[in-house]
Amino acid sequence: MKFTTRLKCWFIAAFFLIVWQNNSYAGGFPVRTGSLMLSVSGNYFFANKGWDSLSRKYTFPNNGKYTSYSYSLYAEYGLSKRFTLVALLPYVINKYQDNNFSSTGQGPADLEVGLRYYLANINYKYYFMLQGTAIVPTYSNNPALGYGKPGAELKLSFAGSGHLFGATSYFNIENAVRQYFDDLGPFQYRYSVTYGISLDKDYKNQVSVTAGGIYSTSKFNNGFNPQFIASNKNFAFNQVSLSYGHAFTRQLSLFLSAGKFITGCNTGDGSNASVSLIIRPFQ
Amino acid sequence: MTGTLKGFFTILCSCLLMVGYTASAQKSPADEGEISTELIPANKNAIFADGAKYTFEVKNGSNSVQTGKISYLVTAENGKKLNRDSVHVTIAKNSTGKYTFEIPANKPGFYKVHFMINVSDYDDTTHKAFGIKPELLQSSHARPTDFNEFWQKAKDELAKVDPDFKVTPLPEQATKNRYVYAIQMKSLDNMTIRGWMTIPKLVDKHRKFAVLLALPGYQANLGPMVGGDNDIAIITLNVRGQGNSKDQISTLRNEFIFYHIEDKNKYVMRGVIMDCLRCVDFIYSRPELKHDQILVSGGSMGGFLAMATAALDKRVALCSSQNPILCDVRNLPGEVDWPFIDINKYIATQPGLTLNKVLNTLDYFDTKNFAADVTCPTLMGIGLLDPIAPPNNEYAAFNSIPAKSKRLMAYKDLAHEVNIDFKIFEGRWIRDNFALF
Repeated sequence: MKFTTRLKCWFIAAFFLIVWQNNSYAGGFPVRTGSLMLSVSGNYFFANKGWDSLSRKYTFPNNGKYTSYSYSLYAEYGLSKRFTLVALLPYVINKYQDNNFSSTGQGPADLEVGLRYYLANINYKYYFMLQGTAIVPTYSNNPALGYGKPGAELKLSFAGSGHLFGATSYFNIENAVRQYFDDLGPFQYRYSVTYGISLDKDYKNQVSVTAGGIYSTSKFNNGFNPQFIASNKNFAFNQVSLSYGHAFTRQLSLFLSAGKFITGCNTGDGSNASVSLIIRPFQ
Repeated sequence: MTGTLKGFFTILCSCLLMVGYTASAQKSPADEGEISTELIPANKNAIFADGAKYTFEVKNGSNSVQTGKISYLVTAENGKKLNRDSVHVTIAKNSTGKYTFEIPANKPGFYKVHFMINVSDYDDTTHKAFGIKPELLQSSHARPTDFNEFWQKAKDELAKVDPDFKVTPLPEQATKNRYVYAIQMKSLDNMTIRGWMTIPKLVDKHRKFAVLLALPGYQANLGPMVGGDNDIAIITLNVRGQGNSKDQISTLRNEFIFYHIEDKNKYVMRGVIMDCLRCVDFIYSRPELKHDQILVSGGSMGGFLAMATAALDKRVALCSSQNPILCDVRNLPGEVDWPFIDINKYIATQPGLTLNKVLNTLDYFDTKNFAADVTCPTLMGIGLLDPIAPPNNEYAAFNSIPAKSKRLMAYKDLAHEVNIDFKIFEGRWIRDNFALF
C-alpha cells in the first residue's frame, strides 16, 4: 500500500501532460488526512501542424509555430478520510509565430480549486472518487491564455492497483464534464486512462502510459486559429503519453513525461514534454 | 477497465498455461497414463443458498477405458451421514468425463462432503466441505446472564494493578527502518507480562503511529515483528504462560488450555484476556502511538483473544480474527478433537469435575459470547476444513457480531489457516479504515 501513496504522485505528474490548454488534475485514490502534496511542474508544448474541422491534417500557414511553456503549482491536502482539497495555478507563456506575424501571451491562467470526495471502494482495491472543481480565470480579455470565463467541472475517477508479471501496477480512469459559464460555453468532455507499472520492489521507479483527450463544443464556431489555441472552443483531440517517475525519498519524486497528439479536430497537432517535482513535506 | 484487464490477464495466462501444458505433454511421456480428478463447486466459495452442486471432473490420461463408480457422501460435522449418491461411469481412454451432482438441500449449516472415485485403475477420495445459508446460523446456547458482570469484575481487578510499564530499547535488534523495544507490564494478579514493540524510523520525530497489537496463538512465543511498513507500530504480546511471560505460569503445552479451568475466576484465560487489555493500557501510555487507531489481530487463540479484547475494550478500533478457537463451545465437543481431547484427559484426573462444569466455565470464554459485544469494524477469516475451529461455530460467532462493518472470508480448501489473500485484504482494510492511504 505504500505504493498507493507514491502512485498518487505519479498520477499527478501524468496529468500534467494530459491537457495542455487548461491543465486538470485529479487522483483516483483517497488521500491521507493531513497529508500535503505539492507539485511544481514545467511543461513544453509545440505544434506547427493542425487538424481542420474535418480532421484533415495541415501545416500551419507561413511556417507558423505554436509554442507553449507553462509552469504549474499544484497542491493537494487531505482534509479528512473522505475529502481532499486540490488547487492548481498555472502560469503560461503561449507564443505563435509565422513569417509575417508573432504574438505572445503570458501570465497566470485559470486557477482551479476542487474538492474531491472518496465515494466508495471495491474490496479496498478499486476506488471511486468524485471531484467538483471551480475554474476561476486570473486574467481577462486575453485569448492567448484561455476563455477568460469561470467554469465548473465534475469528474468521476476509478482507480486500482494489482500485479502484472510480479510487478505492482495500477490504473486510473477519469471522466469529466466541464462547463464554462458563458453563452458560448464551451462544454467539454475530458477523459484519461492511465496504466502504470513499478519497475522495482521499492516503488522507486515507475513507468506509465496514458491516453487522454478533450471534446469541446460551443454554439460559437470561429474555426481554428493557431494563434489562440488556448481559447479555441470547438475542438477535439486524443493524445498518448509515456512517463517515467523516480522517487528519491518518500518526500521527493521526479517525473518526466512526453506525449503526442494522435487524432484531432480543429486543433493543433502537437507534442509535449514535462518535468514535475513532487514534494510531500510531512512524510 | 477492470474487465478489460481481467480479460487480458485471462487470455495471457491461458496462453501461458497452454504453452506450458503443450510443452509438458510433449516432453513428459511419463505423464501419459495418469488419471486425475478435480472437484469443482458451483459456488466458488462452496457456500450455497440451497442445495449444493458439484462437478466431479475425471481426466483419464491412460490408454485404457476406465469403468466404475463415482459417489459422494455428505455428513454433518460430527460425522453423521446425511446424503449419498453414486453414478456408474465409463471414461474413454485419453478423455475427460464431467459428472454433476446436485446434493439435496439441508438445513443451514456446514457439511462435509466426500467424493469417491473407484474405476478400473484408480481409487481416490476427495474430502471437502460446503455451507448452506451460513448467514442464518445462530448458536442455540445463550451467554450467561452475568457475562458482563463477570468481565467487569475482572477489569476492575486489573485496574487496581499498577501497570509499571517498562520499555527497553534494543538497538542491536533494530532494522534499517524500525526501532525495536522490549516491553513489560504488570497485569492481573500482579503477573509480569512481556512483549515487543517496533516503531518505524522516520524523519518526523513527532509522528504518531497506528498500532497493530498482534496476539499470540496457543503456546506461541512471539518475537519482535518488523517489516517495511512505515505507518504502523507493531506490538507483539506474549500473554501469561507463553513465550517470555512464563514467570508464574509455565505449563506443559497441552496443559495450558485447562489450567484452572474448574473455576472461571481462576481459569488461565481470564488472566490472558486481561493481559491483552493491559497491553491496550500500554498503548495508551505511549505518546508516539495513535490511541484511536488500535488494531487487534491474531489467529487461532490469537483470533479468540482479538475478539475478546475488542469486545471488552472499546478503545480497540479494528478487530481481525483468523480461525478463532472456542467459538460456540457447547457445540464443540464431538465436532473437534482439540481442545477437548486435552480437557477430557484433565477431567478424568479431577474428581468431581465434569464436562458440563468445564462448559459452565467456558461459557464465559466463548468467542461467540464476546462477539456479541464487538462493535468495531471486524474482519474474520475461516477455513471450511478447519478441524479446530469448525465453520458452523465460526459463523455462529460471526453472526453474533453487532458491528455494522463486518466481513467474513471463508476458504473452502483450507483448514486451520487463512491464506495470503486474506492478509493482503487485511492490509488494505486496515489502511482504509485508518485512512493510511
